Amino acid sequence: MRELSLFLGCVAPNRYPGIEVAAKKIFSTLGVDLADLDGASCCPAPGVFRSLDKLTWLTLASRNITLSEKKSDDILTICNGCFSTLKDANDMLKEDPALKKDVNSKLAEIGHEFRGTQDVRHVVEYLYQEIGVDKVREAVTKPLNLRVAVHYGCHLIQPLKDSKLGLAGKPTFFDELVEATGATSVDYEDKMSCCGAGGGARTAILDATLKIANKKLEHMTEAGADCIVDACPFCHLQFDVGQAEINQKFAKNYNLPVLHYTQLLGLAMGFSPEELGIAMNTVDTSRFIEKVKMDISENEVCTIV
Amino acid sequence: MSSNIERCYQCGQCTAACPMAEQEQAYKIRRFLQMEKLGLKSEEPMDIPFIFYCTTCYKCQDNCPQGVKIVDGLLSIREAAVRDGNILPAHRKIGQMLMDSGHAVPGNEDGKKRRLQLGLDEMPPTVASSEKQLNDIKILLNLSGFDQIVAEEKA
Ligand code: SF4
Ligand code: SF4
Repeated sequence: MRELSLFLGCVAPNRYPGIEVAAKKIFSTLGVDLADLDGASCCPAPGVFRSLDKLTWLTLASRNITLSEKKSDDILTICNGCFSTLKDANDMLKEDPALKKDVNSKLAEIGHEFRGTQDVRHVVEYLYQEIGVDKVREAVTKPLNLRVAVHYGCHLIQPLKDSKLGLAGKPTFFDELVEATGATSVDYEDKMSCCGAGGGARTAILDATLKIANKKLEHMTEAGADCIVDACPFCHLQFDVGQAEINQKFAKNYNLPVLHYTQLLGLAMGFSPEELGIAMNTVDTSRFIEKVKMDISENEVCTIV
Repeated sequence: MSSNIERCYQCGQCTAACPMAEQEQAYKIRRFLQMEKLGLKSEEPMDIPFIFYCTTCYKCQDNCPQGVKIVDGLLSIREAAVRDGNILPAHRKIGQMLMDSGHAVPGNEDGKKRRLQLGLDEMPPTVASSEKQLNDIKILLNLSGFDQIVAEEKA
């Protein structure tokens, strides 16, 4: 069995632990063990901390990477922000010996050393490139009959031109993984645009970021989506907590459940919505959960017949 | 690492693609790059909150015909502003959370309850569960002077 170190970040374990559980369940179903990365900290967040002080950002990020180097596993992130920070920091330190020396002189104080032996992966990117859409589809036992608004999130794919995912033009890898669960990925206006939360903006200027999220929610609703599926706990929080804030502040009436991809795939693998923490959202998910359960039991009848 | 903003010829494609500029007319990434390129310090205090409006979505950068590393450029503009003491109160606060807990979003009662319901430990297996590791974080943050950056302003 292969093993990866699971990097939790901040938002998933402390607000949406269902994502943490879902990640472990789907990977163990796929034959990959996710080990805890004991003692990991905030990645730290790429926009805000990198702009407060780059060397601090790099030093903490490199410490997180050394935790996995000690175990000789690659790091798996379940968050776009963590992916962006850890991947960028890892690349910078591998490419710049002077920077590496500088960071290592600090890490030495706590008995760590950055060696540059590990890769940083993102759950969606890993599933696509290492496991493959076909294997994911084969692991689905309860195909989902859902219309999904896929949200890639900026730090998974941007900047497109520099992305190591080999992206030119419009990416489809996330949609393919969503459709492997039986769901339909619906097209909607401005699909590739931002949720608004990143860069420390949600923290500092909430209302402006909610206006950005509002636009996406409007388009997703127009497209008749049953739910939003993202790959980042911070986009997740912006669409979930932010949705309630938007309803209240801008007198809207949105009711779109938000799922992390690990939770969507978990459902399609037969785990229950309760086990995956899907009801632990701010936005009411009870109608969505009912629909999923009903569809699943109908599908089962079909397979028996 | 240079952010190559000298290649900018002020065509405005970046602002046209920017979701924040669409919502907040006063936010203009192109203006900040121009100021930086000319080596000007902002005379207008209005630039200070606005340079922190960027969500780092990279839409500008993907649209730039000149291949300017716009976001890197903006991040160093912010870093310089912070070095001059211009940090937003909200950012100071999450910096302090990072100092105290090792997390920008630390655990709360709801989160703990949810973890227990899902059969997880109350605290995640991160720095939140280890005094020793949290202490390591604090040592690193002090070494890089982050404690000073996010310290309360002296009255
Ligand atoms: S798109 Fe590029 S060249 Fe045009 S104004 Fe923006 S940074 Fe300058
Ligand atoms: S990265 Fe910042 S400046 Fe560029 S488009 Fe996004 S919000 Fe606008």
